Formats: sequence, C-alpha cells, structure tokens
Amino acid sequence: MPKPLSGSQIVLQGLWNDNPVLRQILGICSTLAVTNLLVNTLVMNAGLVFTVTMSSLTVSILRNYTPMRIRMMAQTLIIASYVIIVDIAIGAYLPDISEALGPYVGLIITNCIVMGRCEAFAMKNRPWASFLDGLAMSLGYAAVLLIIAVIREPLGFGTLLGYRIMPEGFTPWTIMIMAPGAFFTLGLFAWFVRAKFPQTAEEKKQGH
Amino acid sequence: MKKRFYSIVFMFVLTFFFAALVSAVKVHNEERIQTNQQVKLKRIVLKVLGVSVDEKAPNREVIQIFEKRVKPIEVKQQTLYVGYSEDGRSVTGYAFPVGGAGFWGPVYGMVSVDPEASRILGIAFYRHSETPGLGARITEPWFTKQFAGLPVFPVEGDKKIFYLKPAGPGKRPNELDAITGATGTSRAVETFVNRDLDRFLRETWKQVKKG
Repeated sequence: MPKPLSGSQIVLQGLWNDNPVLRQILGICSTLAVTNLLVNTLVMNAGLVFTVTMSSLTVSILRNYTPMRIRMMAQTLIIASYVIIVDIAIGAYLPDISEALGPYVGLIITNCIVMGRCEAFAMKNRPWASFLDGLAMSLGYAAVLLIIAVIREPLGFGTLLGYRIMPEGFTPWTIMIMAPGAFFTLGLFAWFVRAKFPQTAEEKKQGH
Repeated sequence: MKKRFYSIVFMFVLTFFFAALVSAVKVHNEERIQTNQQVKLKRIVLKVLGVSVDEKAPNREVIQIFEKRVKPIEVKQQTLYVGYSEDGRSVTGYAFPVGGAGFWGPVYGMVSVDPEASRILGIAFYRHSETPGLGARITEPWFTKQFAGLPVFPVEGDKKIFYLKPAGPGKRPNELDAITGATGTSRAVETFVNRDLDRFLRETWKQVKKG
C-alpha cells in the first residue's frame, strides 16, 4: 500500500502533474465540443466540477459498504444523478446556454474523468481526500478548456464572451469553430506542455 | 447467497435515494423550466409577427404583451397564432410553426404571413443543433430578413415557393442567399420551410377562410 498523498500533492496532481486532459488525455469529446464559445465552456466547467467533486465524495463515503461486484453500477447511478441535477438546474436558470450546450451536459455522465476518478481514487481513499482529488482534477480539466476556448473564440468568431475583440477587418477562421480547430488547438497545446515540462520517462528522453 | 442478497438491497436503497433526490430537484424546478420554454415560444411568435419586445424584458412583461396582441387558435390540429394590431381591432398576420430535420438534428422555427396569406412577414428559428458559426447562422438577421415580403406561392414554372442559392448577382426574387459552408443546413431549411408553407396553404389556410 503506497503512502497516502497529502492535500497539496493531490491538488498539484489534478491541476498539473496528472492533468486529465493534457497528461491523461481524458474527456476529449467534450473538450472539443464546447470550447468554441467561452460562455458555454464556463457553464460546462461548472457542471463538470460539481459532478466530479460530488461523485468522488459520495463514492468515497460509500466505498466500504459498496459490494465490489456492483461498484460500477453504483458509480454510474451516482454520477448520472448528479449530472441530471446539473442539467435541470441549467435548464431552469440558464435556458439559452442549456440549448447551446445541447446534449453535452447529459454526456458528462460518460466523461471518462468522472468515473476514472471514482475508480482510481475515490474507491481507495477517504472522503476528504477524494473530495479534493475530484475538485483538483475537474479544475485541471476546466483550466485547459478555458485556455482552448480563449484561443478558439477570438479566432473563430472574432469575439470573447460575446464582445468583439478582433479588429473590424478580421475574417473569422471558420475551422476554429469546428471540431478540427479544436483538434489542432488541443494537439498543439498538449504537445507544447509535454515538450516543455516533461513528466514521464519517455517524454524526458525525447526532450532536449 | 447472503452476499448477493446484500448487493440487491444495497442497489435498491441507493437507487431509491438518488431517484428521490433527482425527482425532488425536477419537481422543484419544473414550473420554471416550463415557463422558460413557453416564454421563449411567445417571444418568437411576437418577433415573427413584427411586435418588438425588448430582449431583456422580464418573462411577466412578455406574457402580458403576448396576451394582448396574439390569440392562438387550433386549426386542423395545428396551432395558428393570430396577431392583432395595437388597438386589437384588425388582424396583422398569422404565425405558425415550421420545422424538420436539419443537418445535425431537428430545427424548429416560426413563420408568419400577412392577413391575406399572400406574403411572408417574418421567419425565425429558435431551436436547433446546427454547427455554431455555420448552420447556426440561420438565426442571424441577414438570413431571416431575406424571407420578409416573399410571395407565399411558387412563381410560375417553379416547383417551390423559394430556393436557397449561393450568394451572387443575377438572382430571381424567389432565390435567397444560402449560407456559405452550410450547404446541408441550407438544403434542409429550403425543404421543410417550403413543405410547411405549402401544407399551410393547402390545409390550414383553406379552413381559416371557411371560418
């Protein structure tokens, strides 16, 4: 049994060393889908942070009572419940954004980060540590999405949070709005981070 | 055996708890969600009928204006929104829903015609899942404004009421600008708006004229 991580170690893991998007390459589907408008990204992030944190906490509290054989079923139920609550809340208070996000809020259920953290961390750790881990991991995801959205929205629409920031004559890059634009942005960004700040032995070997 | 029984009880209790939680949240917000959707529809009806409503106007105000200027009627199982002038004496137009399969998913819109059902007054799309910046531009004013004043019958020799063609000179009056880069969405809009307008004229409008 490895020594349990301290609080600050858990936070650092989630935000940087083991960042779900850049290092683990998880949750890419939604990363690509919701980052063409910053406002959508913000709402999606809030939904994901809530879901991951609450799911991790709940799974951790129940970990000693959950029979091993049905743990996946139990986790899915817990995650799905929180996601539906987020979906209802957005529909009630932010109807326009709810429509813009379309199915992606519901698809948080299948976001690998949520179940990944429940399985990899919350099943084996105390509630407080699991809560921190969920929070840090989801914030790590949120931070990457924000950076990508801040690149995509100005180039794709010429705006940021709906306000025009590019000069009048700027021609929006249509590709930045579509999925390929997200692939390019995310790919370049992950490459940059991994080359500049290598983590794994393989990355270090390839570095200069 | 005991283990299995425990698993079933555990899952049952867990499901019961979370189902109750989700239901409670749903019931608590049901009314607000419904109001949001209804007000959204009312705004769209007012918009296509040419009644200007401030975008930031609260829901209550929108409902008030709607009740004063619009009367929904049922004609052949289709809802027809009759628009009235400010003093409520004369009919300014009829609005009805249009919709069909878009490029990615269903597209819902609202069209209005003048009291003689001879020309289109306005069109708006309010729910769709088209690509932002491409197909989603069907909601932009430059696109929807083209429809205003369009005759609601095919010009002699044409099969459709209107066509969406690539932007450019030398076009006939019933050839509107399609969206560059969103051929799929443009084609879909051309198909279902034509179809629904045609259906309106053949079925709903005949019934309205009969009284």
